[in-house]
Amino acid sequence: MKNILSRFILLFFISLSLGFFSYSSGLNFHQSMSIGIFSISILGTLFFWSFRLSFAFLGTAILMMTRTIDLEHLIRFASLEVILFLIGMMIIIGLLKDEGFFAWIVSLILRIPNLTAKKFVFSISVFSALLACAVDEVTSIIFMVAAILEICDYFEVDPLPFIIISVLATNIGSAATVLGNPIGILIASKAGLTFEDFIFKSFPVAFISLFVVIAIVMFWYRKSMDKLDAHIKEFGSNEMLIKLISIPAEKSLKISLAIFAGTLIVISFHHRLEILWKLDLNTVLLVMPLFSSGIIMIWRRAKARDFIEKDVEWWTLLFFLLLFAQAGTLKYTGATDVLAQRIVGITGHSPHILTGAILWMSTIGSSLLDNVVLVAAFIPIVQGFQSLNLNLQPLWWALLLGGCFGGNITVVGSTANIVALGILEKEKRIHINFFRWFWIGLTVGVITTCIAWLLLVTLPIYH
Amino acid sequence: MKVKEIMIKDVFTLSPGMNAKEALDLLAEKKISGLPVVDENKKLVGMFTEKEVLARILPTYVEAVGKFIYEENPKAVKQKVISFASFTVEQIMRKNVVTVNEDATLCEVAHVILTQKARRLPVVNKDSGMVGIVLRGDVIKHLFAEYI
Repeated sequence: MKNILSRFILLFFISLSLGFFSYSSGLNFHQSMSIGIFSISILGTLFFWSFRLSFAFLGTAILMMTRTIDLEHLIRFASLEVILFLIGMMIIIGLLKDEGFFAWIVSLILRIPNLTAKKFVFSISVFSALLACAVDEVTSIIFMVAAILEICDYFEVDPLPFIIISVLATNIGSAATVLGNPIGILIASKAGLTFEDFIFKSFPVAFISLFVVIAIVMFWYRKSMDKLDAHIKEFGSNEMLIKLISIPAEKSLKISLAIFAGTLIVISFHHRLEILWKLDLNTVLLVMPLFSSGIIMIWRRAKARDFIEKDVEWWTLLFFLLLFAQAGTLKYTGATDVLAQRIVGITGHSPHILTGAILWMSTIGSSLLDNVVLVAAFIPIVQGFQSLNLNLQPLWWALLLGGCFGGNITVVGSTANIVALGILEKEKRIHINFFRWFWIGLTVGVITTCIAWLLLVTLPIYH
Repeated sequence: MKVKEIMIKDVFTLSPGMNAKEALDLLAEKKISGLPVVDENKKLVGMFTEKEVLARILPTYVEAVGKFIYEENPKAVKQKVISFASFTVEQIMRKNVVTVNEDATLCEVAHVILTQKARRLPVVNKDSGMVGIVLRGDVIKHLFAEYI
């Protein structure tokens, strides 16, 4: 109780100080208020993760009562299009889970033929990255951890190194497409980026980074891999694992897969379809999950309510909605324009330095904070650079890649890390200390961010 | 009619520090699916049930993975069954227990049983001390007996 009280006091002290500091450094009342309130939401996630939504509710109410923002603009900034996209995707994921799609993925990993440690590390890295960019990082890590634990249990080796490898690959893979991470769709929506943009610009960075990371982890965890190899020789092949689980080959699984594949295909070509049908940019991208989930709810009408009530994470989505509205308030009051001018004042008008600054701020920030919180705060700042006649393209990619890669640095850097280690703690009673994660996380985080920096600055496609 | 008039007063209880395997053997011996756990002051601190035992020995991610069939017993289950004796009742039990007060009416007990999907409810006094247990079947029997 004393601990909670001291965190409450610290939260309000920091937020008030930030508000007063902003006011005394020349910002007006509403600008200072929007910064102070937004910092309450940020610190709320940091200090009170389990009930962070209450701070978002309180902060939004105060913004309205102090006339810092009006209802019309609050709704406009809440990014309902992003929330609806996420709701649609959650329903599709719920159906896939129900029908055994993810268990099928787990069984595929268990069936790796002629298993060796190298093959195992390579496979879990590639599977983790691909699954993360096709569904989302939090969903994919649960199934990857399940498969890794089964294999490590069978061969009686410590699962921790392999779970860390999977999480590192998951965070990298989540940057590859617009589907991999909520910040992907958020940036796509605000910057007018398409699925094709992600395939041509962020997928290659994630792909190169993934293979560099595989090389790093194979060296870093060579002893654990040697032990696994020794146990594979001792226990023989993974015959029992091959037949450990099966998935009923039901027609409904095939229909679910067809719906999912159809959704992915339409999303892949959304920009072409928008041009063909003369629709606004990203209309098809944002509504396709809704269209598919509408079909799912008609097809599985007896479970329609369950999809909405159990598979949609309302707690998280409501937090995002209010967070986006609060971040919009920073733009509405002009606070982020002032911040943008000051950042340019420090970095100069050099696009390379500015790209580096955004990339590293995003990387370091998301290693400490939820990357959605960080990116929501940065989006209006990046938009503020437009009035200074700067090219925003490399900055959007810097924000995305930093936001995803930075999650690898610390144990609390991304939701995937927390979910994976939570399962490990429950299952094996293994509690990982900060530094056991930090050194490998820092190495991977810094190297992948450097790769991103190099590519963003040197390749003309980003300019 | 109050619940204290129909509850079972002579209830076998477990202590938090008891070995979990011994507690499980006791459930089998008494042919019941769960027992309340009370501290030295007779205060109810949890419920030790077969459901909690199953949740402990199966992988925690079973529900999250979705639909599949176990064709073999995973090695992890074998390891967890073997190591089950290293746990205490306190480590396995469910700590969040729904209770009813000894002065509650039968309709109130029925209401709690229905909304909480419970088969049995521990009955407590004003000081949270456990005084008995009431079974779903007994509540139905006495409700019908009162009016028919």
